[in-house]
Amino acid sequence: MLDITDLHARVGDKSILKGLQLSLKAGEVHAIMGPNGSGKSTLAKVLAGADDYTVTGGGVQFLGQDLLQLSPEERAAAGVFLGFQYPVEIAGVSNMVFLKAAVNAQRKLRGEAEMSATDFLAWVRHRVKQMKMDPQMLHRGVNEGFSGGEKKRNEILQMLVLEPKLMVLDETDSGLDIDALKIVADGINAMRSPERSTLLVTHYQRLLDYVQPDAVHVLAGGRIVKSGGPELARELEEKGYGWLQQAA
Amino acid sequence: MSTTPFQPAQAYAQAFERFNAGRDDAAARSVAFASFEQIGFPRRETEIWHYTDLSPLSLLDVRLPGGSAPLPDLSAWALDGCTQQTWIDGVAQQASSSLPLPQGPFVHEGLGALHRAFALPGLDLQVADGEQLPQPLLALLVSNTQNAQEMLHQHHRIRLGRGAQATVILRHVGLGDLARWITHSLDIELGDGAQLQLIRVQEETAATTQWSQIEARSGRDAKLNIVTVDLGGALTRNDWRVHLAQAGSDAQIHGLFAPTGRMQLDNQFEIEHAAPHCSSREVFRSLGFDRSRSVLNGRVVVRPGAIKTDSEQRVASLVMSPGAEINAKPELEIYADDVKCAHGNTFGQLDANAIFYLRSRGVPEAAARGLLTYSFANEILAQIPHPGLRQHVGAQILKQLGSELDPEMLA
Repeated sequence: MLDITDLHARVGDKSILKGLQLSLKAGEVHAIMGPNGSGKSTLAKVLAGADDYTVTGGGVQFLGQDLLQLSPEERAAAGVFLGFQYPVEIAGVSNMVFLKAAVNAQRKLRGEAEMSATDFLAWVRHRVKQMKMDPQMLHRGVNEGFSGGEKKRNEILQMLVLEPKLMVLDETDSGLDIDALKIVADGINAMRSPERSTLLVTHYQRLLDYVQPDAVHVLAGGRIVKSGGPELARELEEKGYGWLQQAA
Repeated sequence: MSTTPFQPAQAYAQAFERFNAGRDDAAARSVAFASFEQIGFPRRETEIWHYTDLSPLSLLDVRLPGGSAPLPDLSAWALDGCTQQTWIDGVAQQASSSLPLPQGPFVHEGLGALHRAFALPGLDLQVADGEQLPQPLLALLVSNTQNAQEMLHQHHRIRLGRGAQATVILRHVGLGDLARWITHSLDIELGDGAQLQLIRVQEETAATTQWSQIEARSGRDAKLNIVTVDLGGALTRNDWRVHLAQAGSDAQIHGLFAPTGRMQLDNQFEIEHAAPHCSSREVFRSLGFDRSRSVLNGRVVVRPGAIKTDSEQRVASLVMSPGAEINAKPELEIYADDVKCAHGNTFGQLDANAIFYLRSRGVPEAAARGLLTYSFANEILAQIPHPGLRQHVGAQILKQLGSELDPEMLA
């Protein structure tokens, strides 16, 4: 599904990713953990195509395509979804308009017919219910006046509506209380399937209690310095990152 | 007095002679015209006319609307659920009102005198004490002149009695593409506790030169709610004067200014807080397309004794093309203590994070920009209470954005 080889990237003059290797098979869930400033969010943004990051070396293959050659919207249409660490507020564009624009734009890019208004409405309502959100939120501006937790829940709602193939979730668990964390985890788990993969960027073990990863990687200094199974996350929770950074 | 280049061409005098013949109020109009001939048009040396040069109008080979054009089909401009009154080139399509000549004072004496000399009666709405208009009144003001350089001058009046309520939609529509010279004045008087909602949408042709003066005076605890949208006109100057003359009155003004092509648009707002406990809130959004130029001046004057004044002005501008220019300036004059006067003025580009957010969801960049620009304008659009009119204005904005967004989706 996703093959990242020797990826180098920088922001401005600052090198952040320095030879990152990662391979994610269809159906797998991988967690990326690591200290602040290690490059976790940069990786997520680079995968989604943010243009304030410059890839200076290496490559990313996604479902047999050179992902780095695609625009952000083409990546979305190909099935990449980034759950933002800081979802953006867009006053004056309702969530409904936003979702409809996104769904139909992706379908158009893929050469598919637009969804009918009634089908779309039913589909969105179903997903809103699944996320235990107030349907009224669809008529409010995108993330406008939402609390941190509501914004994260809205990211998962968008993901459920868009049904991507690769879900890159950048600290989707931060800012959530326990109840919201469970709803978000349920949303992620509902999307797990043999054709879909997930990259969870997280600081904490907490989310991984609800979403069982197949592999855990530690990112430090712009590279994966250690990989392991779910037990690695628990080890990190106990020992912190210090011992790994020294090793790196 | 020596001849100056600002003195109007002979064409004005000839037009006036024909226009004034046989009128009941010919004498008063003659006095006004003489005054216009003497003063002429505003000069750019005056600060408030700095950006808008009307002096070329003095050289214009003006004419009066003549000829009998077939009645245009105006069904596209009608609005559901409104009582409609229509004027075509100043001619009422219903029983004509008997408004007295506009009195002024005008922001420019020469311009005001020209307007007064030629003014045709337009909307005259009077709502008695305690009455409420059952539905919005749509005043459709259509220019459809058939020859270049034709002039059209019209004046209007709205009077709401004590506690009266009304919604008025002023819709300026220009048909065809001929050059025109249009002036309008609107005089608003609100009795104690009266409430007026005034929606003005201006879509004259891109060859029209126009000046409007809208003056409002509010009674005690009266509420004035204005939404104004300028989309058309080659050269447009609007002078707004709101006098909060009695305690407790409130004015809310929302403005959307979206000139395109080589349009020049100059909006001058002045709110005078002349009594205690009055509030005013202005929210203005400018979108500068193509090579347009727009000017926005928001002046708030707080007179001595107008304590507990609460005024707020928020101005935001988006330059949509490198050739466009927007000048926006707040002006505060405060002569009273214990007042609250807030203002903010932002110039900007679209939020890059928001563009990326939309693109990351599959929305192509052009459409993302369109959606965000629309959302910028939407803060004002959302204030238009009539859904059909709101959709129409939204569609005009979208058209300028050249985006593929479906206006029905946005409504």
